[in-house]
Amino acid sequence: MKVSLNWLKRYVDIEESAAVLAHDLTMFGLNVESVETKGPDFSGVVWGKVLTCNRHPAADRLSVCTVDAGRDKPLHIVCGAPNVRAGLSVAVAEIGAVLAGGFKIKKAKLRGEVSEGMICSETELGIGDDASGIIELDFTLTPGESLDGRLGHSDILLDIEITPNRPDLLCHFGIAREIAALYNRELRFPELLKLERGEDFSIRIENGNDCPRYSAAFIDQVEIKPSPEWMQELLLAVGLKPISNIVDITNFVLMETGQPLHAFDRDRLSQDSILVRRARPDEKIVTLDGTERQLNDNVLLITDGERPQGVAGVMGGQESEINPGTKRILLESATFGPRAIRRSRQCLKMDTEASYRFEREADIGVTVEALERACWLIKETGAGQPSLHYADNLMDNSALETRRIELRVAQANRIMGTQLAADDLVELLDRLGLESREAGETVVTAVPTFRRDLKEEIDLIEETSRVYGYENIGREEERKNSLFASISVADRRNEDICFYLASRGYTEVITSSFMDPQDITRFEWSRRDPRGNPVKLENPLTISQSVMRTSLLPGMLKVIGRHPVPDREGMRIFEMAKVFLRIDDSQGLPEEQLHLCGIFTGKTAPLNWAQKQRSFDFFDMKGEMEALFRKLNNYSDIEFVRQKEREPDHICSILINNEKFAECGMIPSRIAGRYEIDLPVFYYIIFMDLFPVQGFSPTRFSYISPYPGVKRDLCVISSDRITFSDIRTVIKKSSKHLEFIRLFDYYRGDHLGEGKRSYTFRLGFRSPENTLDDKVVDGIIDRILDNLQKKLQVSLRTE
Amino acid sequence: MQSEGIDSSKLEEIEKTATSKINTAPDNESLEEVRIGFLGRKGILTLALRSIGKLPPAQRPAIGNQINAIKQRINTLIEFRKNEIADGGGDEEPYPGDPSLPGRSCWEGGPHVLHKVLREIKAIFYGMGYSLAEGPEVELDYYNFEALNFPPEHPSRDTQDTFYVNRDILLRTQTSPVQVRYMEKHKPPLRIISPGRVYRNETPDPSHAAEFLQMEGLYVDKNVSLADLRNDVTYFVHALFGSNARVRFRPHFFPFTEPSAEVDMTCFACKGEGCPICQKTGWIEIMGAGMVHPNVFKYAGYAPDSVTGFAFGMGIDRIAMLKYGIDDIRRLLNNDIRFLSQFWNGPVSEVQD
Ligand SMILES: [Zn+2]
Repeated sequence: MKVSLNWLKRYVDIEESAAVLAHDLTMFGLNVESVETKGPDFSGVVWGKVLTCNRHPAADRLSVCTVDAGRDKPLHIVCGAPNVRAGLSVAVAEIGAVLAGGFKIKKAKLRGEVSEGMICSETELGIGDDASGIIELDFTLTPGESLDGRLGHSDILLDIEITPNRPDLLCHFGIAREIAALYNRELRFPELLKLERGEDFSIRIENGNDCPRYSAAFIDQVEIKPSPEWMQELLLAVGLKPISNIVDITNFVLMETGQPLHAFDRDRLSQDSILVRRARPDEKIVTLDGTERQLNDNVLLITDGERPQGVAGVMGGQESEINPGTKRILLESATFGPRAIRRSRQCLKMDTEASYRFEREADIGVTVEALERACWLIKETGAGQPSLHYADNLMDNSALETRRIELRVAQANRIMGTQLAADDLVELLDRLGLESREAGETVVTAVPTFRRDLKEEIDLIEETSRVYGYENIGREEERKNSLFASISVADRRNEDICFYLASRGYTEVITSSFMDPQDITRFEWSRRDPRGNPVKLENPLTISQSVMRTSLLPGMLKVIGRHPVPDREGMRIFEMAKVFLRIDDSQGLPEEQLHLCGIFTGKTAPLNWAQKQRSFDFFDMKGEMEALFRKLNNYSDIEFVRQKEREPDHICSILINNEKFAECGMIPSRIAGRYEIDLPVFYYIIFMDLFPVQGFSPTRFSYISPYPGVKRDLCVISSDRITFSDIRTVIKKSSKHLEFIRLFDYYRGDHLGEGKRSYTFRLGFRSPENTLDDKVVDGIIDRILDNLQKKLQVSLRTE
Repeated sequence: MQSEGIDSSKLEEIEKTATSKINTAPDNESLEEVRIGFLGRKGILTLALRSIGKLPPAQRPAIGNQINAIKQRINTLIEFRKNEIADGGGDEEPYPGDPSLPGRSCWEGGPHVLHKVLREIKAIFYGMGYSLAEGPEVELDYYNFEALNFPPEHPSRDTQDTFYVNRDILLRTQTSPVQVRYMEKHKPPLRIISPGRVYRNETPDPSHAAEFLQMEGLYVDKNVSLADLRNDVTYFVHALFGSNARVRFRPHFFPFTEPSAEVDMTCFACKGEGCPICQKTGWIEIMGAGMVHPNVFKYAGYAPDSVTGFAFGMGIDRIAMLKYGIDDIRRLLNNDIRFLSQFWNGPVSEVQD
């Protein structure tokens, strides 16, 4: 909220500069987001004191002065004003300052005397007509302090962030009350025209929750004209356009006390009464902004008993609007329930100063005072003749009672980490206008209606900490060490995997959790597929971000698609993140699964003089996965099987003990094309939750044979009904001395015969007990060939 | 001196010649020739071994060992060269003579800057005795608001624009729901951090994103105070930004903590002098914090007076932006590889080989 410094000064003395005040308020919990100077610009004009003043040796009408303006040495200034003399407080324009009319101050010589600045008059500063002499300032600052916002009609606006628990700060008086507490200064209350209860006027309220209180004052002999200049200036400063005396006064009181007022032209009401009720579905109203609005029973109305005259707490109606001919006024000062106003406001999509305050629970105790304040202003400015009686309908008398809260001294110290005594706490609370007294081990506080946010002990502890100053708490406190951390093994495993992938040349990306429903179509996921049935948002930012992702793939493809084609020469990216699948738990929340997705496109390595570049292919990807699986688990039986039902040529499931742990393949080109990618794209997705959280780690070390190993190459021919995996299994089972199997040639040429394939292996053997001699190895090879022949009809390639 | 006698330096000479011949052998035939020339029945080394008898007895074992070692090394070299020839590497020089030629390279990768910063932050808190806790991102309204002391239909909910799935389910707007979830399952004392993604229904601009990373901290014990909070937060800021950074606590409002504070640190750019980045205040807000509200303890099932505690929450994106001077939060989710790679591959301005 923007508040005017001039306006605040009506209620509390503020000697501090705007910058100091802004800092102090911020540290007091009223975060000042900006400080803005309104009016003439005085940058470079500072407060100074004339130290000496002597006649100019060469000119009778000039004086040569020394002025303390906060510099190391006093300034030497030649001045022509008749009223300049030693001891005077003056406005000094330093060299470089720009005055009214763009006049720039330069270092000058006047009849042989150097002048390092100028002592200013009102005209020179553009704040008045008096050019006869310099301004004699009647206040004291530190020499050199800026005069910004301290002269003429200029003002300073503080933009203060008001948290939703403090509706009492949505007005100048409320802020002034905090400043008084902050600096422990006296608060000046606005002047009121004392009114008596008892005007004979009917105010009916349908529901006390919607409207706990409705008070009204009455003004006759109204004379609509402009409001006084001082009021217009203050309103303009905070961004309100002056309209007429009556409207301006209601706005002024709103900004001063926080209580929204509304003035009705009493002669335009069809009945001389007020009824606050919910709207009927068939009703309409034209509000002050000229819009006709269709109503329903979520909207709370002010009616005259018959016709709607305003949307309660939001905006008045045009029918009874104040106009140049208005003679009699009904002035409304009511309290509306936050929920009722919230519903009206949401229903009609209107946000006003009034609704903002009512939604944050306006002070029920201030309605009559706000009327008295408005009546005083109306009378004082000759806007009309207020009746000395007001009407009031208060639904529940207990609403005005002050609330008593007990604050345990020990608990306050326990939370704050301080050693304050009861009377210290009383003093701190008193400064905020919270009347408190000591009662043994506790402090009892009476909370006035304007601080309804204070409900229990902890609220008072917050207030005492704030006034005591957070910065004064716990400077020497030692850290307690009763707890030690336990590192999450799963988290560490995930971090390890990410580091590992990064070192293998993958770039980690973080893509959006949102998905486009179009992605489901692009990927051809059916509704039975959990990926085709995402969690939907009721209020998404855009349609393309309206569901939660069920797969990392669309986001990853978009990353590639977003890079210009020349930059896709070699992309390997990964993300480990959550996907959201509609396998709802007992609370209706979706299952959040951690997936790891790797994506590859382009070449296997950068262009280099010493190596051939080739395109990344399926077996490059499989190699990546195999290396990764060794880090993730110690199962040996990982099977890559084609996912026949969907994409026979491209996609594999990865099974461990027949359970699907991962998926990999080439994105079908028609799908990649939908993401503007025309290169082959390979991907894998690993379901991280299915792997043991500790990752792979052996339980015991293995014995390393000290004897040399033997290598043999073996070439066999098989039919295409046999897979490599079948052959490998048979070979593995044939010898306990087998150390490795490397397939280094694979061939399926025509001259082998229809459906034939040849495999060339290099096999390594090693024994833990001795050096294997040729005879033993020959025997092993014979056994391998024998088993291959018997079990798979795979034979030695002879030619 | 013995004219045909063999000695150590002569053997070294022989090994050098053999090595060079092997490495430049263009094919298997010439390789076999080299092998026979050195290791064959009349090969240089075979003859040398035979002539060992002419040496004084004391020298024989040493020279014999040396010859055998050289034979073994030559065998290995031949084997290696055979493979090279088989790989088609036979026509390339093994060392082309200019060490300034670039090495064979592979694609380079690295962690996302956000995770890099998050890991640093986690490590600091692990060192201070915080453990890790997690919670769901699609969350119940109950944990995100109600159990955190946000009254229903209260304007304080408006300050966090929320994505809803339905009336009861939403995308968490903060990591704070983990507080109650964790306390429901664990007895005090406890000290946790909980990083994770959060969502706000805000149109993205340079300083706001609809999804970002946040990290929650929570410490609950018999007598945890505001003083302890200041202690831990100050330590953290010093650990991450250096001990010259100053920290201040400003009173603020959060429904789930009381007293509440916003925590500022001295502006990294101007060191507190005031500059456009810190809006001339010299301070930059880095987190929200406060003492856990007694109502939150009630929701978690703790007797409110039995314990006290503090909680804090910080935006990891914001901290990463502060740490590296990143101007626009949207860069962090844009995944431009040139942006990401500078955090592990050096500045973009540098020419890459
Ligand atoms: Zn700065």
